[in-house]
Amino acid sequence: MPNIPKHAGAASSDSDLIARIRTGDEAALATLYDRYSRLVYSVASRVLREGSAAEEILQDIFYQLWRNPWQYDVSRGGLGAWLLVSARNRAIDRLRRNKPGDCARAEQMVSSGLNLESHAAQAELMSKVQAALSSLSSPQRETLELAYFEGMTHSEIAERTGEPLGTVKTRLRSAIQALRQVLNP
Amino acid sequence: MEGIFDEYALGVLDAVDLTALEAHLRVCEECSHEAQEARARMALVASAAPQVTPPPGVRERLLQQTALHAPKPEPAREGKTRFWGWGVPIFAAAAAILAIAVGILVSRNHQLEQQLRNLETAQQEVLAAQARETTTSMRARALLAILTSPGAVKVSLSAAQAHPAPQGKAIYDPQVGLIFYAANLPRLPVGQTYQLWLVPSQGKPISAGVFQTDNHGNGEVLLPSLPPGVAAKAFAVTIEPAGGKPQPTGRKVLIGAAST
Repeated sequence: MPNIPKHAGAASSDSDLIARIRTGDEAALATLYDRYSRLVYSVASRVLREGSAAEEILQDIFYQLWRNPWQYDVSRGGLGAWLLVSARNRAIDRLRRNKPGDCARAEQMVSSGLNLESHAAQAELMSKVQAALSSLSSPQRETLELAYFEGMTHSEIAERTGEPLGTVKTRLRSAIQALRQVLNP
Repeated sequence: MEGIFDEYALGVLDAVDLTALEAHLRVCEECSHEAQEARARMALVASAAPQVTPPPGVRERLLQQTALHAPKPEPAREGKTRFWGWGVPIFAAAAAILAIAVGILVSRNHQLEQQLRNLETAQQEVLAAQARETTTSMRARALLAILTSPGAVKVSLSAAQAHPAPQGKAIYDPQVGLIFYAANLPRLPVGQTYQLWLVPSQGKPISAGVFQTDNHGNGEVLLPSLPPGVAAKAFAVTIEPAGGKPQPTGRKVLIGAAST
């Protein structure tokens, strides 16, 4: 196994690291892995509620980033968010694989000025989001989590919870509004 | 209404809303950017997941994998390809013309004229493409104006019969226009068409156009020509002879009352 020190070049920006990956620099990939693997693994584990499938998704996302570092557009920013979107989409695709009518979500583009490039920045942003989520009522939060972690649509949530569709939509909008307020003050 | 991009990013929109929004995103760069930002914003709902550290074996396996295969080279960009695709033949032709010019002036003139004609044709193609682009973006702006209009009523049309279960959605602002999508409609025999009706608060139904369904049973009527400022009491879809009728004559397959 290649001997790559943990946290090598930890201060490099995401875009610098992507540029180095494009030249075949494995240490740059290891740095990005150390930066984002916990976020990616946590979301995949929460969706799948199962460790080994989440490990596969984690490994695969970073391997794809290594093999095809051009798929991520550095100019848009938000590598952390992009990895989270990929992790969630892949996990939900796997969760719903056997459901008829569901098709795989294509790689989706992300654009963001939100900074997740250090563990401190991640912790700060996530504590803001957690505070916003904890300000929600239990039904609002449950609705948001069914949408995000189970990949359900408005109608599917209404069916699952037995609530009217209008109530589901209102709850989700309140949850979204709370998130928007902390992220775009 | 801006929350629609967040709902889209979360993946909660039902099929009809999703189809309408995605059709718009394909042609509107500004809204695509909004959707990309919403995706990043909504990605942070991940914070609600318990944070767990992955087992160290994953990092080891990943680095074993990367040691075996290098990153793929940069894929050729479309813009670049197009430039060289046009550029190389033109430069080659120019070089050939120069060489020929040394000996054969008549031939050179002929070739230059031909090249000029080619360039003129190319220029006309570019102008035509620009005109098409302008039409597309005007249409995109009009669609978004309805999708985001605070005055628009949204009407869900449900099946007149339980099986199969066709559905429709009309988004209508009397001052701006109408968007209508339908799903799960059976394919009609030749000689018949679906016709959409705006049922005004007073007076007879107004035709909002005819439409056919694709192989999946989806149909749409976008920005039909309607008299301005007519308040809608309901929308309905009937089956009519090809070309449609001035007033509904056939079976009603979808109907929905407008509520503000």
